[in-house]
Amino acid sequence: MLKNNPFNLVLLLLSSLVLLFILAPLAGMFINTGGSELLETVNDREVRASIWLTLWVSFAATFFCAIGAIPLAWLLARKKFPLKNVVQGVIDLPVVLPHTAAGIAILGFISRDGMLGKAADAVGLTLINNPAGIALAMAFVSLPFLINSARDGFAAVPERLEKAALTLGAGRSRVFLTISLPLAWRSIITGFIMMFARGMSEFGAVVIVAYHPMIAPVLIYERFSSFGLKYARPASVVFIIVALAVFIILRLFSIRKKEVYISQDAET
Amino acid sequence: MLKLRNINKKLGNFALSDICIDIRKGEYYVLLGRSGSGKTQLLELIAGLNCPDSGEIWIDSVNVTKRRIHERNTGLVFQDYAIFPNMTVAGNIAYSLHSRKMKRKDIIIKVKKIAEELNIMHLLDRFTQNLSGGELQRVALARTLVTSPKLLLLDEPMASIDASLKDDIKRTLRQLNRKGLTIVHVTHDYREAVSLASKVGVIHNGHIIQEGTPEEVFSKPVNKFVARYAGIRNFFRVRFFTEDNRWKAKCDGDLTFNLSGNNFPGEGLMILRSDAISIHREEPKTEYENRIRGVVMEINSSEFGMEIMVDAGEKFYVDLSVNDFKNLNISEKSEAWITFPAKAGIVLQGS
Repeated sequence: MLKNNPFNLVLLLLSSLVLLFILAPLAGMFINTGGSELLETVNDREVRASIWLTLWVSFAATFFCAIGAIPLAWLLARKKFPLKNVVQGVIDLPVVLPHTAAGIAILGFISRDGMLGKAADAVGLTLINNPAGIALAMAFVSLPFLINSARDGFAAVPERLEKAALTLGAGRSRVFLTISLPLAWRSIITGFIMMFARGMSEFGAVVIVAYHPMIAPVLIYERFSSFGLKYARPASVVFIIVALAVFIILRLFSIRKKEVYISQDAET
Repeated sequence: MLKLRNINKKLGNFALSDICIDIRKGEYYVLLGRSGSGKTQLLELIAGLNCPDSGEIWIDSVNVTKRRIHERNTGLVFQDYAIFPNMTVAGNIAYSLHSRKMKRKDIIIKVKKIAEELNIMHLLDRFTQNLSGGELQRVALARTLVTSPKLLLLDEPMASIDASLKDDIKRTLRQLNRKGLTIVHVTHDYREAVSLASKVGVIHNGHIIQEGTPEEVFSKPVNKFVARYAGIRNFFRVRFFTEDNRWKAKCDGDLTFNLSGNNFPGEGLMILRSDAISIHREEPKTEYENRIRGVVMEINSSEFGMEIMVDAGEKFYVDLSVNDFKNLNISEKSEAWITFPAKAGIVLQGS
């Protein structure tokens, strides 16, 4: 409990202002959205389709990127190699890029003239205006969250535990799967959720790569620019509620999942 | 059993240089050195966690220098045990057996057997977060011993446990050694070497500076560093000379000692073990080869009882039991006499 002294009162006031800054616009949006409008939006097939598209594409982007990002995070945490700092800088680059610029970069990469676009075209796949293209745009801007969080998790695992496992006859891959990964699991899951959430909320990069099919942020923007604030607001509220629910479920699942993993691994 | 031949390894600004060690089967070898002297790095080289830049490692007449960790049949117990916190005690012990792809039934039998031997049966189903230092130490030993290694490597095994548990662990280690297990134990504590080792090596700045039985190393230290490690605090810079056919040593401050032996160098460093010096409240009546008057400057408790510092132109540290100290009835600033035999003076080589 904070004591009632001037310093603590200043802290409390400043902290309250920051929290108010975050909560006030959201609260205003909820308050200004009527129940009937909300119900109507929930029943709107276009809104439901865009939210579902947003969720599964962001989840798929996170899941597939994790397959490569987790080993990369381990390398960054454990190994010394030339230009490591440059690699780290490259990983952080999408965070500082304007997201529309990121979208342009991705578009160049996946258009029919781009390297990936040509390869996809060869197998009859068009990435522009396609969920695969949306996934690439989401992954591009949100991947640093997963890599950095997983890297910090691996770095926090004492190296001597990995060495001990090696002296007990385990191969490098077994050490990774039974020691490094389970002990860094919490940070990896946190990174996973952060990447998923960041991908889900991406607008700038996605709108350049794929206006259609519409993900929720694009749909909200489209309703705002075509019909105004009144029509965009209920869609925003529904999307926020769904995103929040998924976020909470994933958090709870990750905690339960960790406990189960430990008890299975510990069996003789 | 274990032979290290001219091992060199550079690690940043530090280097292990020309390490040569021979350890016979069944020997208990204690490698003594300060933090940063290279002892843990040497253990990791033997275990195979690192490769030497040059030199060879032989285990049981096989050159294992380039062999992988699991082909060396060594077991390494880390200083802070490195117990896996995401597994139970049983999971920790079984880890190496899973690595060897043993059958589940055999794993359970082996885990229970080693747990019984080390008195940790009651801990098998527990996670390791709340175990005491002594329990963790036993789990670490069990986890390493369950694969029956030929060579047990211990990195500061008693650094993280209470004094009261050290005797238990020492007893366990002695028993393992008596059963024929060859042990290499690194520590900074010379008392562990005295109580456990059949052979001692002293490592300093990446070099082995002395090797031998504990008696040889601690009674004839080759230099001041080893002498300090042996708990010796009485050092005197002296000039040696003969008088009436007897060797003597003269300190810078004019104090002169009688010595036994001959062929001393012109000058050097002489040491006296604290327990070789006697202290008297009054001038002793009987003849002593060395009898010196001084003033008691400090009286402190020590692990042996009491440590008394007497200033007689040079500082002398004397160890006494608590009972002897009470019987002596001396206090700080009081006059005292110290005596020691001529043979107690040890001249350090290369000093």
